[in-house]
This record gives sequence, structure tokens and C-alpha cells, in this order.
Amino acid sequence: MNIIRLSAVAKREVQRFMRIPVQTILAPLISAALYILVFGIILGNRINFLENINYIDFVFPGILMMQLIFGSYSQSAFSLFFHRSTKTITEMLTSPLSYSEIVLGYIIGATARALIVSSGVYAIAIIFTDATPANIPFFIFYVLVVSVLFALLGLLIGLWAEKMEQLNMLQTFVLTPLIYVGGVFNSIDMLPENIHWLVKINPIFYMVDGIRYSMIGYSESNLLSGAFFLTGSAVILFALVIYLFKIGWKLRS
Amino acid sequence: MNALEIQNLHKTYTDKKGEKIAVDDVNLTVKQGEFFGLLGQNGAGKSTMISCITGINQFTTGSILVMGHDIEVDYQQARLAIGLSPQDFNVDVFAKIEKSIDLVGGYFGMSKADRNTRAQELFELFDLVQFKDKPFQALSGGFKRRYVLARALMHDPDVLILDEPTAGIDVEQRRALWKYLQELHKQGKTIILTSHYLEEVELLCDRVAVMNHGKIIADLTKAEFTKGGAKLEDTYLKLTESI
Repeated sequence: MNIIRLSAVAKREVQRFMRIPVQTILAPLISAALYILVFGIILGNRINFLENINYIDFVFPGILMMQLIFGSYSQSAFSLFFHRSTKTITEMLTSPLSYSEIVLGYIIGATARALIVSSGVYAIAIIFTDATPANIPFFIFYVLVVSVLFALLGLLIGLWAEKMEQLNMLQTFVLTPLIYVGGVFNSIDMLPENIHWLVKINPIFYMVDGIRYSMIGYSESNLLSGAFFLTGSAVILFALVIYLFKIGWKLRS
Repeated sequence: MNALEIQNLHKTYTDKKGEKIAVDDVNLTVKQGEFFGLLGQNGAGKSTMISCITGINQFTTGSILVMGHDIEVDYQQARLAIGLSPQDFNVDVFAKIEKSIDLVGGYFGMSKADRNTRAQELFELFDLVQFKDKPFQALSGGFKRRYVLARALMHDPDVLILDEPTAGIDVEQRRALWKYLQELHKQGKTIILTSHYLEEVELLCDRVAVMNHGKIIADLTKAEFTKGGAKLEDTYLKLTESI
């Protein structure tokens, strides 16, 4: 692993999203602010389903998680797709960059974008919520593992996609529904008992639940299993993406 | 040492119509310091072979060594030895060229100080200083070609591979590029050039090979190609039309 080469790939990714800050940073901040305003404040003041926890404090970790997921996924998926479709990927393929340097560079760029957006969301939330993390190591773990996991998922889709709309398909038809039924806005206890299993097989539920625990100390799942599941998924996806880069799948004809 | 050694290179594509042979059992050696021309019609296999050498394409069978490094086993050392100016622009069109070339230097592991010095030298050499704050898309065709050539030279490679480096640029710019290439050759660089402009190949190259349907059908020195006062173009046409 060569640090200069790795930082060049990461720098290119950061430069790319900083070139279009309205789309990559401002738009998700506005979207998150609206979620906080509508679900957290306007509706939240009328919802009292948990003792000692304000609805805004319950909802905010999920909103933060949404921004991490979308920021990280969009960055790596769109960037790799752009590099493939414009053939600028060949700048990297003809250089001595190792496959792990390329993949890690994309992950660092995607994580940087997710962290910048999330920090902005956090800054907005401080005004309205009790947003101090209760468990800082857990909070850092969940923020990083989720960013890395979705950066890797973005790379996988960025490699596979032949058309731009295929990048949005996963976001619209898979990620958004999973997020909405993943416990962002409601406790699992608010759902009919016969569909609890649906929530429990949804990986987003463990991410939202984990980050919620790290922020307000409230959890509805087995945190340890969730943490192992997320870390294991990230390791498997990393190995898969490196393998696909190595064999040149959809990269080298 | 040979700059390039290709043995039994075979590359096939599979498309809807079935299997197509792009490079057919090619054996080729280019000596260090040679200015080598690779000619052939469109679709003859020149660009595919270059893509195999540079790591853009995979190949089916065979082996390629660049400055003694196997491009598959020892791909990092092999790629350090190569500078590529491709036929199609593979540059981020929205990025400022100063930033783009800096990133490329980074991909090759150059330190920040070395990248700054080298980029400045190359921008001065190719008259690109005035455009360094411009995105690639704002450059004219000739300056785009110059930038791509500067980028290929960023890490000071031993072997320079130029795929149609003067395509689509005016006569003045083409002549200026020829001058740069001759200077680079004098400095000892190995240059592999493909071009449809045969007068440029005749002027610049020491040795010329002709590809047709994925095979090398002729590999001669410039003197042999132009024997008896013949023009390279005439010899080339005789060769390709006789197939």
C-alpha cells in the first residue's frame, strides 16, 4: 500500500464531489432539515410513544443514517460509473495503482462525503434535539461501518450498471423502502406483531438501531449481533469488490 | 534490454455474432531507444494490442514484457515504465488540467514537490501554462493532444506509446508535436507510434510494422520500406492491398 497513490485516488474523489457542492452537500442538508422539521418537530410534538424520549431524539439518528447511506452510496456508485462510461478509469488502470489502493481510495472519498453531509445534518440537529452521542465509540463505529458498507455497495453497482438509471433503481426500489421500514420513524413495537420478522430481516434496522443506541441509549435489537453482521458484510463486500477489480469485471475488456 | 517483448499474443472478443480475433498470434520486439511505427487499417488490431500492453485490455494467451517486467505478474513495475497517449481522450473533462496532471503524478507515486516541478516543466514544454487553470473541455483539439502527451510523460517513462497522437489537429500543431517527439527520441526514450499519417511515420520512425486482421504482415526498417526511393505510403498500400 503506497500512501501517495492511495491519497491521489481519494483526493480525486473529494475534488469530484466538491466541484458540485449544491448537488452533493447542500441538497441532502436541505432534505435532512425538512425531515427534522416535519417528522421531528411538527409531527413529533404530537407523538409520545416512549417515556422519557422525545420523538425528535428518536427520529434523528435514523435521519442521520439515511444521509450516511445515500451520501456514501451515491458518491462511489456515480463516480465509478462516470469513470467507466467516460473511460477515465483507464487513467488508473494504466498506472501502477494496486486494486486495493483504487478500491480504498473510492471508499475514503465516499466516506468523506458521507461524513461532511452528516456533520452538517448534526449541526442542524443540535438546534432542535439533544443530539450528543451517549456512547462515542459506538457512534464512531456505526458511522464508519455504514459509510464503508454503502461505499462498497455503490462500487458493486457502479461496476455492474450499464445505464445511469440502474444506479437510481437500487436507491429508489431497494434502499429507500428498506430505510422507511427499517425503524427510522417508528419503534418496532408500533408495528403489528405478525410483521416484526420483516423488520428483523432488514439490515437497515440494525444500522438505525445501533446508531440510535449510540446516541440516546435506546435499542430494540441485539447490538452485538448487529455489529458482527455489519462488520462481516463489509469484509465480504470488500473482498468481492477487490476480486472484481482484479479480474477486470466490466473494467477491462 | 528490449523495451517491449511480445510473444504469441492472442486476443479474442466475443460479441453477439460470436468470437472475433482482434490480435492473432503476434510476436514483436522493440529495442530500447527505438522509434517504432505500427501501421494498419482501422480495425487491424493496433489499438487492441496497445490496450493489452498498457493494461486496459486483457488478452487471451501469450506474454508481454515491458522493460523486462511481465505486465501481468509484475504489473506495477511494467506500468511505471509506460507512458500512454491514447487515441480517445480519457481525461476528466470538467477538471482543471493542473489538478488532473497532479492526480496522475500521484497515481504513479510521485511526491508533491516532484509533481509540481514536473507539471511546470511539461506545461512549459507544451505551451500549456496559460491553460493550467482551465478544464480539459475548454482546450482546443491541438492543446488537448498536447495535454495528453504531457500527461503520458508526467512520470518520465522509458517507453512512450502514442496512439494516433496527431489525429484531428492542424498542420502547425502537428509539426510542433513532431519536433517534441524527435527531441524525446534524442533523449533516449523508446517511442511506439501508431498513425494514419504515413508521412509522419516515415519522418519519425526507425522501424515500421504493418498489422492486418490482427497479424503482423511486415516488420522492416525504414530503409527497407523506402528502398529504391519508394514512399512508405506506396509500400504500405502494396502490402495491405495484396492481402
